[in-house]
Amino acid sequence: MKTNNIFNAKNLVLTLLVATVGISGCKKFLDVNENPNNPDQAAPTLLLPTVQAALGQVIGNTFQVYGNFWAQYWTQSPSASQYKAIDQYNTPNTTTDRPWLTLYRNALVNADLITKNPGANLERTKGIAYIMKAYAFQVATDAFGDVPLSQALSGNQFGSPVYEKQALVYDSIFSYLDKGLALVNTPNAISPGAQDIVFQGDAAKWTQFANTLKLRSYLRLSKIDPAKAQVGVAALYSAQAKFLTQDASIAYSSTGGNENPLYNEMVALNRTQNIVASGTAVRAFKANNDPRAFKFYDVIGSADTIAYIPQGSYTANASKRVSTPSALVGGNANNTASAVAPVKLISAAESYFLQAEAVARGWANSGSVTTLFNEGVTASFLATSLTAAQANAYLASAADARIATAGNVEARIKLIITQKYYAMCGFQGFESWTEWRRTGYPSFFVPSQASTLGANRWPLRFIYPNSEATTNGSYPGTLPIYTPVWWDVN
Amino acid sequence: MKKLLQSLFLLMFIAMSAMAQQRTITGTVKGKEDGVPIPGVSIRLIGAQGGTQTNAEGKYSISIPTGATGISVTSIGYVTQSFTLPAGNVINVSLASEAAQLGEVIVTANAIRREKRTLGYSAPSIKNDELTEGGNRSVLNSLAGRVSGVNVTSTSNTPGSSSRVVLRGGSSISGNNQALIVIDGIPIDNSSVLGGSSSLAGVDFGNRGNDIDPDDIESVTVLKGPAAAALYGSRASNGALIYTTKSGKKGANKTEITFNSTNTFSSILKLPEFQNEYGQGYYDEVNGKNATYINDPVENWSWGAPFTGEMQEWGQMIDGERQVKPYSAQKDNIKDFFKTGFVTDNNLSFSGGGEKSSFYLGLNALNSDGNYPGKNDFYNKYGVRFNGSTEFSNKFTAGVSVNYSKINSNQVGTGQGGNSVYNNVLQTPRDIPLSQLGDLNNKYNSYGFTDANGVKRDDLYGYYGAYTMNPYWILDNYDNFNDVNRITGNFNVSYKPVKWLNIVERVGIDSYNDRRRFMSPKYSFTAADEAGNYAPTPIADNGSYQIDQFNVNEVVHDLMVTASHQFNEDFSGSLMIGNNIRHRATTSNRTATNSSGGLVVPNWYNLSNSNGPINVILDNISQRRLVGLYADLNLSYKNMVFLEATARNDWSSTLPVANNSFFYPSVSGSFVFTEMLKDNSITNILNYGKIRSSYAQVGNDTDPYQLLSTYSRGTINGNFGSTVFPFGNVAALMAGSTIGNSTLKPEKTSSFEIGTELGFFNSRFSVDFSYYKNNSKNQILSIPIPGSTGYGFSVVNAGEIQNNGVELSLRGTPIRTSTGFSVELYGTYTKNNSKVVSLMPGVEQVSLGGFSGMSIVAAVGRPYGEFYGVTNATDAEGRTIINEGTGMPVPTSGAQYLGSYNPDFQASLGSNIKYKNWNLNVLFDTKQGGVFYSNTKDILAFTGTSAETGGDRIGVIFPNSVYLDVDGNSVENTSITYNKQDYFGGNLNPGVNIVDASYVKLRTLSLSYQFPKAKLAKTPFGQASITLFGNNLFLWTPSENKYADPEVNSGGSGNEQGFDFTAQPSVRNYGINLKVSF
Repeated sequence: MKTNNIFNAKNLVLTLLVATVGISGCKKFLDVNENPNNPDQAAPTLLLPTVQAALGQVIGNTFQVYGNFWAQYWTQSPSASQYKAIDQYNTPNTTTDRPWLTLYRNALVNADLITKNPGANLERTKGIAYIMKAYAFQVATDAFGDVPLSQALSGNQFGSPVYEKQALVYDSIFSYLDKGLALVNTPNAISPGAQDIVFQGDAAKWTQFANTLKLRSYLRLSKIDPAKAQVGVAALYSAQAKFLTQDASIAYSSTGGNENPLYNEMVALNRTQNIVASGTAVRAFKANNDPRAFKFYDVIGSADTIAYIPQGSYTANASKRVSTPSALVGGNANNTASAVAPVKLISAAESYFLQAEAVARGWANSGSVTTLFNEGVTASFLATSLTAAQANAYLASAADARIATAGNVEARIKLIITQKYYAMCGFQGFESWTEWRRTGYPSFFVPSQASTLGANRWPLRFIYPNSEATTNGSYPGTLPIYTPVWWDVN
Repeated sequence: MKKLLQSLFLLMFIAMSAMAQQRTITGTVKGKEDGVPIPGVSIRLIGAQGGTQTNAEGKYSISIPTGATGISVTSIGYVTQSFTLPAGNVINVSLASEAAQLGEVIVTANAIRREKRTLGYSAPSIKNDELTEGGNRSVLNSLAGRVSGVNVTSTSNTPGSSSRVVLRGGSSISGNNQALIVIDGIPIDNSSVLGGSSSLAGVDFGNRGNDIDPDDIESVTVLKGPAAAALYGSRASNGALIYTTKSGKKGANKTEITFNSTNTFSSILKLPEFQNEYGQGYYDEVNGKNATYINDPVENWSWGAPFTGEMQEWGQMIDGERQVKPYSAQKDNIKDFFKTGFVTDNNLSFSGGGEKSSFYLGLNALNSDGNYPGKNDFYNKYGVRFNGSTEFSNKFTAGVSVNYSKINSNQVGTGQGGNSVYNNVLQTPRDIPLSQLGDLNNKYNSYGFTDANGVKRDDLYGYYGAYTMNPYWILDNYDNFNDVNRITGNFNVSYKPVKWLNIVERVGIDSYNDRRRFMSPKYSFTAADEAGNYAPTPIADNGSYQIDQFNVNEVVHDLMVTASHQFNEDFSGSLMIGNNIRHRATTSNRTATNSSGGLVVPNWYNLSNSNGPINVILDNISQRRLVGLYADLNLSYKNMVFLEATARNDWSSTLPVANNSFFYPSVSGSFVFTEMLKDNSITNILNYGKIRSSYAQVGNDTDPYQLLSTYSRGTINGNFGSTVFPFGNVAALMAGSTIGNSTLKPEKTSSFEIGTELGFFNSRFSVDFSYYKNNSKNQILSIPIPGSTGYGFSVVNAGEIQNNGVELSLRGTPIRTSTGFSVELYGTYTKNNSKVVSLMPGVEQVSLGGFSGMSIVAAVGRPYGEFYGVTNATDAEGRTIINEGTGMPVPTSGAQYLGSYNPDFQASLGSNIKYKNWNLNVLFDTKQGGVFYSNTKDILAFTGTSAETGGDRIGVIFPNSVYLDVDGNSVENTSITYNKQDYFGGNLNPGVNIVDASYVKLRTLSLSYQFPKAKLAKTPFGQASITLFGNNLFLWTPSENKYADPEVNSGGSGNEQGFDFTAQPSVRNYGINLKVSF
């Protein structure tokens, strides 16, 4: 440490000198306002990992909890209280301040700064940034509906960005993906390498990611605008698009600050175990005799079953001991293995189920529904460190796996989405809840016992954040969480 | 100054010419105003040892030894007079009381001494004896109630705690609102950096303005408005407190040694009121008005069964046994937890001087052991001050004034942090004998113990609470150390080549190092309980160690050239031209062990023990410079009309080059109209009358580095945790949160003031009144902008705050008798109206602090510092609207404005009662109106311990409630009931925790006795006095405030005020002061 000498000769002499010279030397004397603490420029390759880690925080922490609760995999532990409001479907505006901030101020603005950087040889990095931007806007709009888009991320120009229709946001998502695809495939582009913490700059994998995300996005419009969805999907297939065959995920470590975001959050909460098994998912797994259940949840002590409580029944089960999520999915506060659980932006299983749906709807001109469906289930089994043989046994016996005998398109889609639901347990809660909103599957959800919404009302969107309500002159007004978003016409 | 020189010359003259004679002088001392004899007046010889006092009839007799050249006549409350020895043997004296001292000299801006009558603005001054009579060890706290227009918030009122002083309301929306503190002409740093993560889990390390020892201070002048402080420029737009430290007297010809010992006891001033009907647990089932209860031993809730007084088991079962106690209220369990605090402050000073030089050396040591049990809350401060000046023969005078202080302390955390003791204390069920749980070796109180088989179990705890920790264990295991080393001072040289010209060069420094170390233990304990009542999962924390370090180094230079001229008999003037240069450099570092990984090895507090990469929270250096040129013109006519004009131009390093020069003027005038009435008989009643007025502008720059947007290290925060780069080996940057502004302009405050000073009946009764209006415009603000812009804040020039108000001070002596009995009364009244006139188009309010559910805001059209949050909805008649289904209040549809932390008005009333050598002083002060947010209330409601949770709990009707029918009309609720546990034990709307902050305090009470000279004649003491004192002694609050002293605050001395987030409770102090001089 530099000692702090009050008889700082330099300062004293300087002061006296300037006093003597007078204000003629004033200009130079006053030229000390250059910030020594923070740079005013940043290389795009240094901004890229921030964008990705920010999405990891949103998808892997706040939205993971909301999604897993509202998709009824998890519920509030009776012996803690952190997430009661989620089970109550009673989330005040302030609860979304943080994820909104993470989306716009951590993910989107830095992606935007990358794409606007005038530097040379940045095509690959910019391409990835466009794809991440598309992903982030999809998350934002699927959560909140209409969101700031064209006026967003330009604080100097637009102090109160207007909210744009979700349809427009989806158009932009497709446009960002096209830009991203073109840029990542620029020949001889320089790879950001390790600065890309998802695919280490691999252009082929980013191409698959963008295609899969495009497929996901078109299928999201299957109810509101099937014609557009069909054209979009068909275009992908006619261009012979390749889709993901492995997880697009962020790998975390046990180093403090680099852990799985949900685990890291629980450590900061003194490792209080707020999350326990919900009866909705556990009973469905059991009905199919699904071995994945024991991978997604821990049993208590030497018991051989998963102890669960009905969704939102923390009050009625005050002293009951309930199973917790396993360390595999980052929801276990007292198992350090939870620190290295990955956050999956898109999983391999999801990719197969998306393709299966495209084929099932007759919008894709290649591939077999059954094959893709089986590949999806198998990918899920492998992701939970079960074997392909166990997957085959399950496919042969489970009621929710009988795709070959499903009667019609809707029945197949029901099975596809239901299987996607099983695959996403604990890993992709937000996407699972979103697909439930789109398709109504799985069909076995029960209202939370703690619901404050009244009968037949479900949480169908996230509430706009308080920070927007209080600072954005173009704020459109708070919509109740039971109001569906635009594409949700189910 | 003039008087001093005069007497010096006289002395020299007398010493050379007068031949001393051995004789006796006699005489009578009477009051000049009333002609009543004054007893106990001390008569001291000049030029020789010895002295006497007047008797009860005001008569004295003193024999004059060889060498004596004169006598000085001194009495408290009167102006000292000196006489050379006359030809005869009689000196009759009429002493003017100090109140009537119309020639009172005030130290104003830049340490310039001015006669009070010449000032065109309000500038009250407080002397040392008034400051210290209440025994408060904070100069700032001692100002409370003394002067109008001064709003002091003393927080916990313990040594080292924060004090906030705001003059005439806050003028800055988000910047500093406190008065500038100036010591001997040098502005000093008054930073207040709250320890801990935020005010929700804060540690109060005080503000640096409290570092000075009150015993070293001669006087404090309060310059309330920008006009008074215009010469200080931008920093004084909130007014200034001008401290003058003690100096030796030239020609004192002996060193006066004074020993001053102040010993203070303290106790908690106000604890919440509790219910004493129900104990630990909660209801299980309700059937009508009846309920069954669960006596859950892990609980912090007191929602259990009514007390029975029967013996019952409680806490954990360890080694097959549980403890047993009666099921009844422990009425004083919180009160008994605290102990009596003790502070000893000892000051030894040496002062004196020769013919041409003088010096003062003060040494002081303050040692405080606070009110928490044990020795882990302490505050020690040591200081040395040296002031000296010398005149040289070649018309030069040089002076030096240096103060070194060293502080080391350990402060207890507040709020809801892991280190908060009070939070855990308050969450104790009403039947738990908290104050008996201090023996941490007892397995039922402990974390880690030795079991029945003699095996050490560091993984088990035996404490009853699963949701709270044993506060004694927290006191033992968490530390928040603070070390401060500080030097302030100035060096000055003045040169007076000719009589009318004076050149002063002064260089001041303020340099300190403030280092904090926060230690939180690493632990993981599972309940030892064998009865199955406790969860099998451990309570765990990875622990942490954090070092915060702040270095501040400030150098200030002033060169002032003053020319004065007497144009003719009636007309004189002076002009001063000055140059000011300021350089401020700071470094701030906050470094901690990994925020998630914590410590590797428990109890080893060192950054090298970090489990994972070290967490660099802040690493910041900054420097700013300012150059100013100023001029000050003073004109006076017939000692009756005075005019002052100042002008200043500043160049600041923090503003864009194009806008970094700013000019601001001030003008003030004073008219002593009684000078025109000298021969009029009205002067028998109104002997002194002055009107004054001023107008001023002050410009202000901003903080360094506001002009550009920047990037920072990648850190993505969750609600509690965060992803921190480097991520493995991957480094990252991210856009900062604030959009810079390269076109900022300086802020501008303009102020108008008009006032009067009146003296009646020879100034036995005096009045001082002011009206003022200040407008601060173009404020440099970091405006919150929507996150969808990609940023959180934007730096703009916007916003205006207006403050106007009145200030009234009264002082009078209704009783003064010939027996030496006098009663003096004084009082102040202050009313300030603050209003946020505008912020920025589209921005209605800016947050000053608080947390998401309750914020403190500056909102357009409202007073500064308004609370804003959701509360219980009420109908037009103010009745609470309940939910027809639950019987419990419904929340308002959105956040509401709930009142400001600023009082409607403040007032004080004090009295000095003297009888011979006895002096009794009493001072009450009050703030009326204003509110504060009490999280203490919230916690007590949640745990079911506050008085409001008592009484009938099951099936009760919410008081004064209505429900709304289908048309939205109110229907009085006479039948829909609720259970208190469901309401209070749930999440209360934050607005219900807003409490009236009005209070009346007995601020000081002291009784002192000055030993008569005669009695000291055979002792080595020249003077001796003994004082019994108390401060902050009693508090009266409105009945709705059953929770806390409204002055406590979790946000320290910043703009986040009125925020009791289980803040440190305030204390009353009482003790004894002994002062002797040799």
